[in-house]
Amino acid sequence: MHSEVSVRDLVVNYGPVRALHGVSFDVPAGQIAALVGSNGAGKSTVLKAICGLLQPVEGEIVVGGEVMSPKPGDPLRHGVALSPEGRRLFGRLPVEENLLMGAYTVPDAASRREMMERVYGYFPRLRERRRQMAGSLSGGEQQMCAIGRALMARPKVLLLDEPSLGIAPIIVAELAKIIEEISRDMSMTVLLVEQNAQMALSLASTGIVLETGKVVLTGTGSELLESPEVRAAYLGT
Amino acid sequence: MSFLIAQSLINGVILGTLYLLMAIGFTLAFGVMRIVNFAHGEFYMIGAFCALIGVTWLGLPFPITLALTIAFAILLGAVVERLVFRPFRADELSGMIASLGLAMILQHGALILFGPDPQAFPSLVSGVFRWGALIVPKSRALALGIGIVILLVFYVFLMHTRHGRALRALVQDQEVAAVFGVRLEIMYPLGLGLGVALAAVAGGLMAPLFGVSPFIGGTPLLKAFIVVILGGLGSIPGAALAAILLGLIESFTSSFISASAADIVTFALVIGVLLVRPAGLLGRAET
Repeated sequence: MHSEVSVRDLVVNYGPVRALHGVSFDVPAGQIAALVGSNGAGKSTVLKAICGLLQPVEGEIVVGGEVMSPKPGDPLRHGVALSPEGRRLFGRLPVEENLLMGAYTVPDAASRREMMERVYGYFPRLRERRRQMAGSLSGGEQQMCAIGRALMARPKVLLLDEPSLGIAPIIVAELAKIIEEISRDMSMTVLLVEQNAQMALSLASTGIVLETGKVVLTGTGSELLESPEVRAAYLGT
Repeated sequence: MSFLIAQSLINGVILGTLYLLMAIGFTLAFGVMRIVNFAHGEFYMIGAFCALIGVTWLGLPFPITLALTIAFAILLGAVVERLVFRPFRADELSGMIASLGLAMILQHGALILFGPDPQAFPSLVSGVFRWGALIVPKSRALALGIGIVILLVFYVFLMHTRHGRALRALVQDQEVAAVFGVRLEIMYPLGLGLGVALAAVAGGLMAPLFGVSPFIGGTPLLKAFIVVILGGLGSIPGAALAAILLGLIESFTSSFISASAADIVTFALVIGVLLVRPAGLLGRAET
């Protein structure tokens, strides 16, 4: 199986602190991979580096067979879109304009409309609230909007940073189902970063466990869910 | 009496349009650069001189002069962004001080070039519109009409085009906007350039009414400041409301009491509004 995203020996500093000490992993094309680990393990740092918000000191990121240059905008051209940690919607723009910002680089209006219909299909609540300011939505709806905005870029690779953060468990379950559907329907590669290891690993075909800036364990999602180390450290059993 | 009211109403709306042109450019520059731009009034002054040069020295028609003024101002704004403001992007205080320095340079540059005396602007149109006892000089009606058209064009650009949306998004979260492909190295100079152009247009429109000198930038800057604070920082409907309100209050107070009372009433009102609604008329508290 060929990999859509390859992270090779990634070293990233956060200010004076070294956050990643040579991280390598592969995400198979069209599948969901989960990057789990405790707070401060470097999960978000990996995503920020992939989408060009942080410049790696060493190592490279290969997407679709091409090495990316670490500037914001370039990952987008390679088909990488991000739903950021904390959602970071444009709060004083209506839902629909947030979605349109996701499609900022999609020149074709018909293609933008078609994608918006698909997003509304996955998240009917966004359609109901499309004229409402994004900042006034509930946490779950904001997360839907953030995922929808990323989808609007028509990505090949969807990066989801902590989609379950601060969201009611029932909505998390709903989101998990929709993430699975999206990946399946559009054969989209998804890299999911989560503190909620249970949710992430049950969705993922591949799991990567990160600890203090290093990969300590990889395997299939179900292998990791069964693994005693993971159970003890992240699932509390 | 009713004649005086109608007259004040029209003058108030003209002033309000001027203040709104100034305030929108000011708030746009602030949103894009996070810098309070004290040089904003000097761009008004430069716009007025551009109009004067175009009409009296080059003998160009007024609309062409205004179009050239807009083009020149966008360019000037882009250059200023690159040379003066970009180095202070992450540093609001130094940026503000740099803008004060820029204001000095522009004002004294104009002083050296044009001298301190007010220059008369030849009247573009003469005559008046007359409805019964109500008299509106055609020159004022012209300024008002062009001002409103420019505001509408700008509004449509900002609210209904892809690049306008990108500017509004950028004001809220530059990093995320960049992730979705907004090119900051183009949008920063464009944002400041448009803000500068709105100030310059205001200067060009008002030059035939109020005359031209190197010192005319101070008052419009102050008024832009008041409008933005009164309306709520970042709120365009708030700025529109505040600008018209400010124009009307000034014009009515000058007609019925006196011009100096107008300033007292205005500032008393500003203090009053801020005591009751610290975020401005339509503003939201910063979250």
